[in-house]
Parts: sequence; structure tokens; C-alpha cells
Amino acid sequence: MSVGLCAYAITRNHVLDPAGPPGVRLIEHRGLGLVVAEVELAPFAELEKDPAHWVNEPSEDDPLVMLARRHDIVVRAVFEHQPVLPLRFGTILRDEQAAGRLLADHHDEAADWLDRVAGHREWGARARQARPDKPAETPTEGLSGTEYLAMRRGLLAAAARTRRDGSTAAAALHEALSRHATESAPRARKSGAPLLDAAYLVPAGAEPAFRAEIERFPELAVEITGPWPPYSFVRLELSTEAVAHA
Amino acid sequence: MDGSGSSLADVLERVLDKGVVIVGDIAINIVDIELLTLRLRLFIASAQTAKEMGMDWWTNDPFFSPQQAKRTLEANEVEQLRGRVVELERMLGAKQLEGEPS
Repeated sequence: MSVGLCAYAITRNHVLDPAGPPGVRLIEHRGLGLVVAEVELAPFAELEKDPAHWVNEPSEDDPLVMLARRHDIVVRAVFEHQPVLPLRFGTILRDEQAAGRLLADHHDEAADWLDRVAGHREWGARARQARPDKPAETPTEGLSGTEYLAMRRGLLAAAARTRRDGSTAAAALHEALSRHATESAPRARKSGAPLLDAAYLVPAGAEPAFRAEIERFPELAVEITGPWPPYSFVRLELSTEAVAHA
Repeated sequence: MDGSGSSLADVLERVLDKGVVIVGDIAINIVDIELLTLRLRLFIASAQTAKEMGMDWWTNDPFFSPQQAKRTLEANEVEQLRGRVVELERMLGAKQLEGEPS
């Protein structure tokens, strides 16, 4: 186990940008291309070692981070010129024949998906409650018990209102962004998730309008990431098991 | 269109957790992606928590969330107590060593 064929993306058959990442080439089949490169396998195999420090934030020189960044860079280099279907990280193929078989077995399916994402880029949007001005310090001295409770109740009600308004605004923002997108995908829900965390597949022409929507929601702190290759929109599993002996 | 500025969590989440999956005999399973994804989730969960502390201010503001104030206090106490237990264990260990015939 030393060198293997790492696959990064499916794209249309074209000449790869010579200024792209070195070592990357295209395996072609009937108008489709599989973006591959020979890679050292040892760094991949070592990724699972040392699970003890996994809760810590990986640094940029963490082996996983370096390999993941490279994957993203290769996919992006192709994506600059052609539509791509990014493959899941760490796809190592047996050999070049295997790559050809993958394209042959799934030619139509892959071509359809490429048409679907062509001319689109993925954008991520995260929205949180915009932090309001800190509530004015209310003097509590000299207040009667009833007055104090009334004041506190008022402040708590205001906080609840802010939260509720945030959720409503986030739903409206999602609706507004979706109008400019061909497709949207909620991101994985986590505890303490933002009000909105979603990815959008946006046609190139609609990008200015998509981005402009954010200005209409000053009550939210919106963070936009992208443009991304359509990672979140290729929910596709290509199997070669059934056709192994066809 | 340079992706180097994208946040690490965003890149990892997409590269590790999304994309076309190839299964079958043409691929070699050299990396346990499930395991890596688990690592990713652990990291993102902690990063998210840190971020939320700053952004969703009210959830940690003792005034707006009285429960939170209590919880923080308890967390501090637990930490202190844990420290003292470690200290005691250390002292106890030293005592035992002293007491043992050499």
C-alpha cells in the first residue's frame, strides 16, 4: 500500500487548466471526465490514529485538514471552468479501469446531475439574532417590591419577544433566499444551532439578487459563505456492486 | 474564487459529509469516513457552542436566563471540587508511599 488513485469529482470531458493543482488528470468516458490524481495512501490511513485529541479544533497543519483542503482545492480548480459533482472525501479507486467502469455504469445519471448543477454555485447562509444595544441599566433602588417585579417582567417579556421575532425573521429570510435559488438544503441541525443554517444552489444570474436579500433583514446577523462547488446538492450514491460481472 | 478563506468547519463539513458516494468493488476503503465525520461533529459542536456564547447573548445572560446563572455557578463549583479531589488523591498517594516499608 503506497500509491493509490484518488478521485475528486465527476465533470464534463474537457482540457484541464494546466495552471491547476499538479498531478491532477482526467479519465474520460463518452463526454464525462473523472478528476483523479495518484496520491500517497499512508497519510489517509493514518487519519484514524490518535482519536484522543479529536475534540480539539484541528489546526491548519493537521493531516486531516491538509488533505481536506487539498480535496476542496482540486474540486474548485475544475469548478472554475466546468460543472462538477464533487465526490466524498477519501474516495480511492482500485485502478484506472475501475474509474472507467464507474463512468460507464453511471453515465446517464452523472450527465443528468451535471446538467442540473451547471450554471449554479452553492452559497451557505447562517443567521443569528443581531445583538441589540444592551438594555439600559434600570435603577432598582427605591423601587417597591411590586414595581421591581413589574420591571423585571417587562424586561423578560421584551427578551422573549426578541427571540420570537428572530425566528420569524429567519423564516422570512429563508423564504426570500429560496426565491432566488433553484434548490435549498438545510444544514445538519446541532444543539445551539443558529436561527437559520442552510445551503442554496443559486443560478449565476441570480447571485446579486440573492445577496441583496440580506440587507433587508437588519434584525438578523447573517453570515454568507461561498461560492462553493455544489457539495450539498449532489445527494447521489453510485454503486458498482450489482454490475460487477455485467 | 479562492476557497482558502472559507472557515475550516465549513470546508470540513462539506468535504467530509457531502458529495457523491462511491460504493462497491471499484473503491478501496482506506479511510473510515464515519469516524472522521464523528470527529468533525465533535469539533463543530464545540466551535458552535463557543460562537453561540457570543452571539446568542441572552442564553448566557444570568438576567434573562436565571437557570443559566445557576448552571455556570454549578459548573465552577464542580471544577473547583474536581481540583480538590485530585489534590487529595495526590496527597493520599504520597502518604501511602511514605508509610510503605521500603
